[in-house]
Amino acid sequence: MTLQNDRKYTSSHEWLLDLGNGTYRVGLSDYAQSSLGDIVFIDLPQLGDTVTAETSLGDVESVKAVSEVLSPVSGTVTATNEALSSAPESINTDPYGAWLIEVGSATGFAELMDASAYETFCANA
Amino acid sequence: MSELKRTLFYERHVAAGATMVDFGGWEMPIQYPDGIVTEHLATRSGCGLFDVSHMGRFRITGNDAKAFLQHVLTSNVSALDLNQAQYAIIPNENGGAIDDAYLYRFVEDAYILVVNAANAEKDWTHLSREIKAFDAQMENKSEAVALLSIQGPKSKQILSDMANGAFLTEPVKNALGTVTLCGKTAHIAKTGYTGEPVGYEIFCLREDGLFLWDELVRRGAKPIGLGARDTLRMEAGLPLYGHELGLDKDGNEIPIFAISLARFAVSFAEEKKGMIGRAPLERQFAASSRVLNRDFSDLRKLPRRVRPIALTGRGVLRAGFPVYKDGKEIGYVTSGTMIPRYVVENQGSLLETFTDQKAMRSIGLALLDSDVLTDDVVEVDIRGSKISAVVPAWHLRGDAPPYARPIVVDAPEEPKDKPSANLPASALNLLKKAADNHAWRQEQCINLIPSEMTASRAVRLLSGSDPSFRYAEHKRTASFYDHEVFYYQGTKFIDEVERALVAELVKYFHCTEVEARVISGQMSNVTVFSALMDYKNRLDRKRTPKRLGYILNNHIIKGGHLSAQPMGALHDYVAIDPATERSAVVNFPVLRENLFKIDVEETKKVIERYRPEFIIFGKSMVLHKEPVREIRAFVDEQRISTTIMYDMAHVLGLVGPHFQMPFEEGAEIVTGSTHKTFFGPQRGVIAVNYKEDELKYDLWKTIQTRTFPGAVSNHHLGTVVGLLMAAYEMNAFGDEYQKNVIANAKSFARSLKAAGLDVAGDPAIGYTETHQVIVKTGYGTGPEVAERLEENNVIVNYQATPEEEGFTASGALRLGVSEMTRFGFGSKEFEQLANLIADCVLRNKPIASEVAKLRAGYTTLGYCFGDEAVKKALDALAITSGI
Repeated sequence: MTLQNDRKYTSSHEWLLDLGNGTYRVGLSDYAQSSLGDIVFIDLPQLGDTVTAETSLGDVESVKAVSEVLSPVSGTVTATNEALSSAPESINTDPYGAWLIEVGSATGFAELMDASAYETFCANA
Repeated sequence: MSELKRTLFYERHVAAGATMVDFGGWEMPIQYPDGIVTEHLATRSGCGLFDVSHMGRFRITGNDAKAFLQHVLTSNVSALDLNQAQYAIIPNENGGAIDDAYLYRFVEDAYILVVNAANAEKDWTHLSREIKAFDAQMENKSEAVALLSIQGPKSKQILSDMANGAFLTEPVKNALGTVTLCGKTAHIAKTGYTGEPVGYEIFCLREDGLFLWDELVRRGAKPIGLGARDTLRMEAGLPLYGHELGLDKDGNEIPIFAISLARFAVSFAEEKKGMIGRAPLERQFAASSRVLNRDFSDLRKLPRRVRPIALTGRGVLRAGFPVYKDGKEIGYVTSGTMIPRYVVENQGSLLETFTDQKAMRSIGLALLDSDVLTDDVVEVDIRGSKISAVVPAWHLRGDAPPYARPIVVDAPEEPKDKPSANLPASALNLLKKAADNHAWRQEQCINLIPSEMTASRAVRLLSGSDPSFRYAEHKRTASFYDHEVFYYQGTKFIDEVERALVAELVKYFHCTEVEARVISGQMSNVTVFSALMDYKNRLDRKRTPKRLGYILNNHIIKGGHLSAQPMGALHDYVAIDPATERSAVVNFPVLRENLFKIDVEETKKVIERYRPEFIIFGKSMVLHKEPVREIRAFVDEQRISTTIMYDMAHVLGLVGPHFQMPFEEGAEIVTGSTHKTFFGPQRGVIAVNYKEDELKYDLWKTIQTRTFPGAVSNHHLGTVVGLLMAAYEMNAFGDEYQKNVIANAKSFARSLKAAGLDVAGDPAIGYTETHQVIVKTGYGTGPEVAERLEENNVIVNYQATPEEEGFTASGALRLGVSEMTRFGFGSKEFEQLANLIADCVLRNKPIASEVAKLRAGYTTLGYCFGDEAVKKALDALAITSGI
């Protein structure tokens, strides 16, 4: 399992990267993609939608199952990763590059862990 | 969870990094590190290896073993010959499924039943209870016997290498064999659960299991988990108990006839009178037949059926999603996910190949109202959103082996030609193209298709001149002492021609009677079949005529032609055996060491067992003489009443001492086409050797009436005249031609072999006794190699060998020397040609110009009349007829 020190993690295996200016990037951790298996479909919110921390922002589907993605942050969607709709499997190959959405005007956060805390969390999962 | 069972291969899965899950009480790999998508595609393009040792394996023996199985399974166990397997369902009293299963017969007196892992205990209990009423025993072999499966286009080569090239199984679905794989004895079955047309299940001793697993992996078989096993079976449209069989999502029994396989897997044969659930199954069958006839007036016994479903909108199908049509709920998805496929090149053609690119599609199966039709547009409720979908006929087809080919719903339709917008220009264009084609085929190409021939100028001119396009119906009439009576005027010339033609052909065949009005080889056979059936029923005209059966013929995979197969010309004339519910046809056994040759001793056993009323010799892939004499002697000695026919279509021009004298050897009827090794235009012929005082002379009379008015009204008069000239040519030059054709074939085979090609057949006899030579190019490569040769001016046809599944899997070329022999080729020219072919086939070298150069020296047709008087007469005829 790989980790990136530049971002925070949730217990539901999303990551949150601070882009500055109150904007955050959201994605799935390596642990998440590995447990899901081949990711084949992703359903993301629209630009301008509001997302709320610890509630569903969309679905990610693997061959085996469908899973909800819980938002690590509350705010407004300022960008979505369009490339994912034709190549959702890039989450499997590059989980920290293949981001899902960007959120601006952040107003609140889910409970977040740094990389080492998240590593411990996954080891005990 | 602590009590999960593990198969023999558990350690192998863990060592390979598999994710293990609980499946029906077994700890099984759901996937390996490469993931489901990669595993799925690896099976479709290569070879997947599956641990299926969790499935239940019961061995059933005893005097009543078959009767017991007829009672507890839906299939007709009487149709299960030695070395065959069949799909079956274990029914309950309501016509629902306790489980689905596969039944194997590796040895004469024991059956192996393989059942689903999750149902094994339930099945065992049920079957143990039922078997008490029978003199039969059931043994649980799940522990002692390991079960593996390899599936995919490369599985055959891997297994064949492990068997040191030994014969595996007949190349048909559900065939079984017992082989030695790297020193270990194993039963193998050409079966599987992936939709792959090529795939095997391997039954071996537990102690050999790990060795074989490792050996398969070492040779390129890729371990596949249950995840991809599910996507593979779903794409193939195969049911999974608990989804498409058993109980529906509301807990109601799914009728067995809800799955389309039921129409094959459920039998109501006489022997199955006591089958569990027979009465409700019969009601379901009737309902299913109504539905297939689009009579939806009463759907109570079969309200819903399992259908393929493909999402056309965005999303992923999942089991349980409701399906709507026109706003009304019509059922639900029983299995669904996103499934990968390879993008193909040359889609819709024989040269279709997988690219490296993959695409995903969300497909699955759904239990839908029985009145839903194929291609209906529906909607699937995906978490509150209605997403569009369609009900296709299928997701995958396995009928063009060696690949299982995905069928996508948005494939472009084949474009249809539009009528000409400028008819004079089109007419001119057609003439120009025909001239180009003629020049190419006759001056640059070397034609090695053994069923083709160039006819002499005389034959071609006569075939086009008057009375071409006219009628000359005629019939023997008892009132006129059985003389031919013509219906039209202007027919005296054709009358004379037909009489002369019959005389020449009687002389050629050494027989008593010839019917030459049939216009093709296929029609010759159909006419004989019709006549035989009529003859069989001639003493009882007040009942529907009985069909023919049993019939002994050559299997199509062993070289038999479709003109003597139940799916071909026999279709309307062959009976169904009520015991097996299959066509009453058996095939000539062939020699294990030479699959091109009939095994006479085994054939005698088949004849004794089936006592066939009709024996049809003859093949379209033919390297050997047919054992007519031996079989005639045997049926006479055994006093078996039968009719022996030899369909000589391919070898009609070889009748004589250099090949075979069919009537001297004991054939009663010879049929054929007149344009393969014979010199004629494209027609048929029927010859018989019945004498007027014989009972069976009536069969000959029937053959004539089944010809006219049975099969023809217009018998294509021009080509009758052409055929008379061809018969003159054959009777004048045949002896020399036949000798040279057979010598050239043997010499060509030797040269091809010397040039490094893999020539099939027995080297001891020079590989062939006919005009044909078979060259093996490698499994499945035939179509590509044949296309490459055509681009290089060598015209051949790709050919499936007796070990291959069919024409799409062809790994050989069929070559014939007759036409080029007529153009003057001898052993020297065939050697040059063999070397050119080897350059093209083995080294991919361009040979087109060298072939054209070789051909240019041989454009004058021989073995026909060519003196000055004939040439002058031909020129005169050409001018008079305007041709």
